[in-house]
Amino acid sequence: MEHLKKLIKEAELDFSKCKSLSDLDHTKAKYLGKTGPLTEAMRGLSGLSKEEKPKIGAFINEIKKSIEVALLERKKLIQDEELNFQLKSETIDVTLPGRKQAQGSLHPITISMNHIQNLFHSIGFDIATGPEIEDDYHNFTALNIPKEHPARAMHDTFYIDKNHVLRTHTSPVQVRYLKDNTPPLRVISPGRVYRVDSDATHSPMFHQVEGLWVDERVSFANLKGVIQDFLQKFFEDESIAVRFRPSFFPFTEPSAEIDMSWNDGWLEIGGCGMIHPSVLTQVNIDTEKFQGFAFGLGVERLTMIKYGVSDLRPFFTNDIRFLKQFEI
Amino acid sequence: MQISKIWLQDYFKQSIDSVDLDRVLTMAGLEVESVKNFSDLSNLIVVGEIVGLEKHPDADRLNVCQVNIGKKELLQIVCGAPNARLGIKVPCAMVGAKLPEFDIKKAKLRGVESYGMLCSANEIGLSDDSEGLHELNESLEAGESIKDALSLKDTIYELSLTPNRADCLSIIGIAREISALTQLPLKPEIIIQIESKFTSTQIVKVEDSESCPRYCGREIRGIDNTKKLPDFILNYLESTGIKSINPVVDITNFVLHEMGQPLHAFDHKKISGAIVVRKSKSKESLKLLNEQVIEFSGNELVITDDKGPIALAGIMGGETASVNQATSSIFLECAYFDPSNIAGRARSFGLNTDSSHRFERGVDFGNTLNALNRASELIIKYCGGECSDSIDCGSVLPERHPITIRTKRVSDILGVEVPADDVQKILKALHFKVEKNSDNFTVTPPTYRFDIAIEEDLIEEIIRLYGYDKIPAISPVVESNMLRSSHKDKSTYSIKSIFSDYGYDEVITYSFIDKEVEERVHGNSNYIELQNPIASQMNVMRSKLWGSHLETLTYNINRGQSQVRLFEIASVYKKNKLEFEEKMIISGLVYGAHTKEQWSEKKRQVNYFDIKGDLEGISVNSFDFRVPENDIPKALHPGQTAALYQNEILVGWLGRVHPALQQHYELMGSAYLFEFTLEALTHKKIKQIDIPSKFNPIRRDIAVIIDKEISTGDLVKAVKNETIPLVMDFYPFDLYEGEGIEEGKKSVAFLILMQDTYKTLADHDVNKIVESILAILKNKFSAKLR
Repeated sequence: MEHLKKLIKEAELDFSKCKSLSDLDHTKAKYLGKTGPLTEAMRGLSGLSKEEKPKIGAFINEIKKSIEVALLERKKLIQDEELNFQLKSETIDVTLPGRKQAQGSLHPITISMNHIQNLFHSIGFDIATGPEIEDDYHNFTALNIPKEHPARAMHDTFYIDKNHVLRTHTSPVQVRYLKDNTPPLRVISPGRVYRVDSDATHSPMFHQVEGLWVDERVSFANLKGVIQDFLQKFFEDESIAVRFRPSFFPFTEPSAEIDMSWNDGWLEIGGCGMIHPSVLTQVNIDTEKFQGFAFGLGVERLTMIKYGVSDLRPFFTNDIRFLKQFEI
Repeated sequence: MQISKIWLQDYFKQSIDSVDLDRVLTMAGLEVESVKNFSDLSNLIVVGEIVGLEKHPDADRLNVCQVNIGKKELLQIVCGAPNARLGIKVPCAMVGAKLPEFDIKKAKLRGVESYGMLCSANEIGLSDDSEGLHELNESLEAGESIKDALSLKDTIYELSLTPNRADCLSIIGIAREISALTQLPLKPEIIIQIESKFTSTQIVKVEDSESCPRYCGREIRGIDNTKKLPDFILNYLESTGIKSINPVVDITNFVLHEMGQPLHAFDHKKISGAIVVRKSKSKESLKLLNEQVIEFSGNELVITDDKGPIALAGIMGGETASVNQATSSIFLECAYFDPSNIAGRARSFGLNTDSSHRFERGVDFGNTLNALNRASELIIKYCGGECSDSIDCGSVLPERHPITIRTKRVSDILGVEVPADDVQKILKALHFKVEKNSDNFTVTPPTYRFDIAIEEDLIEEIIRLYGYDKIPAISPVVESNMLRSSHKDKSTYSIKSIFSDYGYDEVITYSFIDKEVEERVHGNSNYIELQNPIASQMNVMRSKLWGSHLETLTYNINRGQSQVRLFEIASVYKKNKLEFEEKMIISGLVYGAHTKEQWSEKKRQVNYFDIKGDLEGISVNSFDFRVPENDIPKALHPGQTAALYQNEILVGWLGRVHPALQQHYELMGSAYLFEFTLEALTHKKIKQIDIPSKFNPIRRDIAVIIDKEISTGDLVKAVKNETIPLVMDFYPFDLYEGEGIEEGKKSVAFLILMQDTYKTLADHDVNKIVESILAILKNKFSAKLR
């Protein structure tokens, strides 16, 4: 029986020499296979007495178990080693850059426009658009600026022909909107506008958002409330104050320049006023029943203030190094 | 308009020093653009006399001057002004002096030490004159500060006036406004009486009394137009930026700026016969004072004598009857011209005069005779002579109608209650005639207020004086109805975001472009031209965006970019007989490397299929890319262009830039351009959705050999058009030409995906489907199974 007991040590030694699972399988057969010593010993049990049989049988089984345990241990060890080896060999440099198409960007004017539209939309303003090549009537006359009126000189206008201009503001869109809708109404008209002017703060093409609100009782104070609310939300700064300064626009009365508090001073950011009765009368709105306000904001100006850009020209030269800074 | 504070002070009883004019005027809507305060001028700027002058040893254009500043020691100053010469007296800014634009420091100019600067008028803020040194009167004492020597004590306000405030285009007008704003009383207005020494024989006829409701005038004989006017007139004119010409003209200019009433003096000896105010006749012409010869259209108001026009009424006088130093008798005109008859005329001749500026905005028709008398008084006082009686051809003057203002309306419009007492006080301060009837006022504005016609005009006046800063900011309270959705506009933003996610940078380019680009890139000669472009490279409205995008590409390549992917959503413009058409399109350009150079990817240039893939994704496979039949845009390579169809409608293009254009723009690689209508992406129908089958789809691949010229897309379309039951998808996944394939043929491998809702497909079902597909391909394209 002693030689069987020795088998445990021998097997443990043999197993430990195995480097792979296939080696181990091979070696396993030597001890536990059909021709192995343990199987033989089991076969030999038949020749033993009734008393001895269970005793020896149990003994052989114990040895078999021990060898199986040793086998499993070794197997686990080899598996662990193989996994470790795999992990080690598969290690990558995770700091290398990702594989990608470069991220694009939205133009800053688009970002501002979207923000502005969302803010006004959130208090029920509709959004209207219209043509950029506009007729004289909608750009001027309907807005209380008859032909040859000195106020026309306030707009340096691009002319296409005697009767057509590049719109100098988006107010004509509002005239069209007032014609097609009945009050009460709230609408903003965003878009490209054009003036004959070009330097660091003027561009021959720029973007405006004009808005109007016509209802039975919307006042100059409400106009100030809406503008202040808007500026505080747009610049994400609740401390922003608004100052109205008397001014003149033919289509509003009273009229005001809008100044916004900024860095201990005031910045002019747009014009506004109560819609002139003759504009409302033009579109058949009863001025005894309805009144309203209108405002116009320069989108480039708001964007420049927000992002600290001091020159207007980069907005239209489209240098990718400028644009890429507005990744979304 | 420039306003001198010293001149302004003349009209007030007490000092206006306590008033912050800058703020008061700006907050009343008379915007102060700049303030020039001469009393702020540094005392270190003194009268300097050049007593020594030598050429700079190392610089041809520089002189080394020795300057006497009233001390024992002379100052050495290096100076480059061409008029520097011995003996002249000029402003000398010593070390430490603060000039409007910079500070003076000791300096070394090309190795020679310089202890200050000799100045031009512009450099010390006296005027815009920057031509050489400002030469001073020889009688001034060297060393005296410039401020004292020239008695520079004034403050000049540059105002930017809105076109409605014609009444403020004069010193008296501004004084009136300040008085109303500050309650500082004005000196009483003086009504001038002129003693007439003779009766004028000049006949005046006003034929167009609608354009000229009042025409006053008088003769003044025996004047000496070589006299020197007193300093106060000359100083005031200079402070207003008016050049001195001769005494009579200077006085008319003085009254224009004092009262806002333009006057014109004719040399009376040069007038022949009657003065007639009438509309011009076509083909008449006139040489103006500025030597410009204008031809009339028959629409302008003119002043004529027997020989023809002698002045363009209200705008500028003619040369023939002009006043000069030799003039001894004049006819002085002082009229009221109707604004609508002057408006636009000056501009139509490229003119903008102080006179036309005022007449087209409205001149006080209640002050015509008084202004005539004021000018007459000054002329006889300083130039001598005798006045005739005054001629006054008046017809129907405009009327100021009473306006009713309701106090309730005031608070309704403003959203703030202005007490009735304040309303009344404010209107009176503005010299409006006010009558109170219970809650209303009846208000009549003065003759000089052309901007007050309706209740709202008065409301603005009330809040302007009450204070815009008293308007609270109140959020409106309204019924809240949901809006009809304006998703069209919102989705434009989401389309832009998708492009950005695909790696495109959004650009915004000008809507106008060079005519030549339209022709060269788009072959468009029916462009919309601007009458007054800001520059020649921006003279037409573009019909496509590609021209702008190619220019943006070049701009960025020149700044080191090797990968450019850009897009824009904007209008394009087309002329259709007399109508203009605008359409919003999405357009873009891709150039250079497929991706930024990266360690894990092979470097390669972008190609047609990269962009097609982007557009398939962005359009959610709603575009059909077809071989174009004709009308391929000129900018594109005819063999690498697809026409984009959606629901059988042509919506756009994708293609490679034409090699000729590529060469023109000197592009190293190919650029790709695309465009399609914005509408193609914004208008989407609501889809009905299928529930997926429980069973796995079955895939079969087939490879067929077809003629090389046949478009793969046609095969796909042919199969899909048959709508074979159970076929879910059918598309090409491999393409092979070359060895093993007959010349002129290609092999295309297709994937067929099949599925039944209720069962797993059996082999014979699958085979039947494959057979039917093969039959289509064989019949229609003579395809052979490979």
